[in-house]
Amino acid sequence: MRFGASSFIWVSPFTTGEAAGLAARVAGLGFDIMEICIEDPAQVDGAAIRAAAEAEGLQVSVCGAFGPDRDVSHDDPAMRRAGVEYLRTCIDLAVATGSPHVVGPMYSATGKARLLPEGERERQRGWAAEGLREAGEYAAEHGIRLGMEPLNRFETDLVNTTEQGLDLCARIDLDNVGLLLDTFHMNIEEKDVGAAIRAAGDRIVLFHACENDRGTPGAGHVDWAAVADALADAGYDGDVVIESFTPEIQEIARAVSTWRPVAASGDALAVDGLRFLRERLRVPVT
Amino acid sequence: MSRFRYSYDQLVYYGEDIEQSIDRLARFGYDAIELAGEPTDFDGAAVRRHAEQAGIAVGSICSIYTAERDLSHPDAAVRAGALSYVKSVADLAAEVGAPTMIIAPNAVGRLAPLSSAEDERAWAIEGLRAGGEYAASVGVNLTLECWNRYETYWLNRLDQAVELWTATGLTNGGVMGDTFHMNIEEDSIADALRRVGPLLNHVHLADSNRAAPGQGHVDFAPILEALGDIDYQGYVTFELLPPSADPFGVMRAGGHQDFFDRFTEQAITRVKAVEAELAGV
Repeated sequence: MRFGASSFIWVSPFTTGEAAGLAARVAGLGFDIMEICIEDPAQVDGAAIRAAAEAEGLQVSVCGAFGPDRDVSHDDPAMRRAGVEYLRTCIDLAVATGSPHVVGPMYSATGKARLLPEGERERQRGWAAEGLREAGEYAAEHGIRLGMEPLNRFETDLVNTTEQGLDLCARIDLDNVGLLLDTFHMNIEEKDVGAAIRAAGDRIVLFHACENDRGTPGAGHVDWAAVADALADAGYDGDVVIESFTPEIQEIARAVSTWRPVAASGDALAVDGLRFLRERLRVPVT
Repeated sequence: MSRFRYSYDQLVYYGEDIEQSIDRLARFGYDAIELAGEPTDFDGAAVRRHAEQAGIAVGSICSIYTAERDLSHPDAAVRAGALSYVKSVADLAAEVGAPTMIIAPNAVGRLAPLSSAEDERAWAIEGLRAGGEYAASVGVNLTLECWNRYETYWLNRLDQAVELWTATGLTNGGVMGDTFHMNIEEDSIADALRRVGPLLNHVHLADSNRAAPGQGHVDFAPILEALGDIDYQGYVTFELLPPSADPFGVMRAGGHQDFFDRFTEQAITRVKAVEAELAGV
């Protein structure tokens, strides 16, 4: 199992100019992986980022940022097209940076938590499946996996639970399209977090280990022993990334509703969380 | 014999006659009903009479802080409207015989200050004080509520509410905890309740997904234990709502049938069983 830290703990938007500093910081704190969020692809040079990461011995993980102008489940076909094009760009960046995947809530624009008649929501899930199948086929050609992330009810109305995520996987029906599971969202939506992880099984592309308040993993009430057991049962020995959001940058703080510091600092959150997760998520040798 | 008295928030019975709601709660063994804070929807005397006949109390009023009912809004006219709403809820509470009403310093869904945070705090303290003094004059206590990060930028954790309540200097009331919000925001639900201690005068229980206890993963045993340890005397009230950023919209569309008989029965049965287990029965 390898561990990563999200760029969102310290910066937003992430740009090429941040890469060397962030890689040095993330590697210095003891991580194996630097997850970068692609808010503006024009400001991200894949080759340069790969070089910066490799200089510190890090692998890159590419996470998408799904704003209203790139939305594969939008009513407007032009927006859906822009959504697929953005995903293709992220897939190209995954290839360039050496990331094995592109992850994130790619089925919709984040923050669309509307009241919809079930028929209408079904129609939008259909569009999402259509766009993500196209993106998934393109990703497969390049050896990249897609990990779709369920979000809690306040951030999306389309995919809140692992079960809904697995349903979307089944509709897309590609081996390289699976799920990114995040314990922060699971704590709100899943009846049983462990059972949800087991149900996802080999569809887990990436795992976000986050505390219930997005603070330091281990400092809240997520049942990490249950998470560790479930990951072992699911046979997941892949990458585990800590995601939190700096409250110091107002745009990102507002986007994810973080109104107070959830740790003494980003570094403290990352290093204390890493120490805890390395200890608790160790896969038992069988 | 239960250590606690149980109540259920009538909010989720949206669209139903109040008599029917009261009768359901009496049928499933509840001690009280929590009434939605919409004073014009109710004939207080009739509600009180019907509850008395059914053998339950009206335990509390769940105020609803819409954008027009915002005690810390920069527009003085909005603040005045909010204060008159608070007073009308206090009047309803007095009429139905409810000892407690919920209060919040801003509108639900407000995710940024509209003025400076300092100004909003000063306005909120002023409004809470005026509302609290009026409530005291009609024999009603306030309870200050926190919401999760997606519903307010301000009071997310109970320690923030204790700080604000203390700053008002009011003595008729305290702070409440809601386990749905606390599951997102607190490091430990039980520890957070213990820290509030004697100031805790109201509690909302819901499971992690806001459905009936047993539908999610909240462990209610340490929560009840904490309430016992701090000698909590208020009602244990279930506030359950459908899984949406807009639960009222879901209810208007009728998508909340589980919350009538099924969850009403499951909530009290489940939590009383936890209580019995703790008591070693």
